[in-house]
Amino acid sequence: MPPTLRLSHSAALILKAISLDYCFGLDVMEVTGLPSGTVYPALRRLERDGLVESQWEPDAEAAASQRPARRYYEITKPGKAAALAATQRYPLLARLVPSRVIQEKRS
Amino acid sequence: MSPALQHALSKPLSKSDGFLLRAGAALVPAADRDDWRRNWHAELWHMHDRRTRARAIPSLSAGLLRDALWLRAESWRRAYSGTAVLCMVSLAGLCVVAALLGLAAAGRDHFRLVIGSRIPRFLVESLLVVIVSFATSSSRYVDQRTTGKTLCWIRRQLFLAAKSVLLLVLAFLLSADLCLPLFTRMPMTADALQVFTFEFCAIAGLMWAFRDQDQRCKHCLCALSTPAQVGRPSHNLLEWTGTRQACRFGHGVFSTPEMLSTWRPHSHWVEDLELEVSS
Repeated sequence: MPPTLRLSHSAALILKAISLDYCFGLDVMEVTGLPSGTVYPALRRLERDGLVESQWEPDAEAAASQRPARRYYEITKPGKAAALAATQRYPLLARLVPSRVIQEKRS
Repeated sequence: MSPALQHALSKPLSKSDGFLLRAGAALVPAADRDDWRRNWHAELWHMHDRRTRARAIPSLSAGLLRDALWLRAESWRRAYSGTAVLCMVSLAGLCVVAALLGLAAAGRDHFRLVIGSRIPRFLVESLLVVIVSFATSSSRYVDQRTTGKTLCWIRRQLFLAAKSVLLLVLAFLLSADLCLPLFTRMPMTADALQVFTFEFCAIAGLMWAFRDQDQRCKHCLCALSTPAQVGRPSHNLLEWTGTRQACRFGHGVFSTPEMLSTWRPHSHWVEDLELEVSS
């Protein structure tokens, strides 16, 4: 990614959520409060720009829980740098997306 | 249906979800369709699963459709970005917009009267502008001997001609749009203003057209990309330095020297880079 490329606020929010291990589209929607029409195309754009990468869950794992396998997203090295830069640019970002551990403790 | 969708699910999708999936799949390019369908089948299934556990999950309909549209738009972007077709369609679209602006501003009858009465003058002015632009363009610095076969050459010239015609029409329509409000009150001033505006826009447009023509692949007419600086600035000015731009389909590179010299007087098109390096 070119170092000058700046993420929009929603893209930064989604990238931050993925960096905090919210790896499924629905999880990202829930934690960011963004609508599906924003989250899913943004995930595609982030993947195209090499900031995140996606993979399928192993079929066996999903079959064992009687559910279809899902696509999950992971942040890449350039994505981590971009998330860090976005956090510096939008200081409130860290407060908007709670860490997964804190979220699980709360629920 | 892909094997992944034949999975024994405890909760099948509703009829409305099935309809949404079919509608979205029709928008997605064929190469991505199976993957997209599998992805959204799983997302919808999990959405219903979470809803049954009394969690407020918003609808995925907008996401599903926008995701499908994004994939379609992205496939078009990859296929047409920088192509001659996109260039022509964009110019034709701008001409239509300029004509519609004129129609909206002046009304149908007045617009037809103004345009119709100025077409002969437009043809004469266009001829003069084309001669001046050809005479002053810098395209002569491109080594024409290295620009491909006869068929490719004919195609390039046809593209340049079509692009130039569209640019001239666009310049004419824009100049008419600009001067339309003045035609009834100050016809002489409006006429003079239209002539100057047209000439300025047409010459600028044709200069762009020549420059754009040089920056396109000589085979497929796609815009060249990934410019790379080659060589280092030389103290004695004897070493070659310049910029190379490549065709994304691998037809060759366009080599532009930083400084024209007697041993490298032209920008030139290189199809076989290894051959050029060895010579």
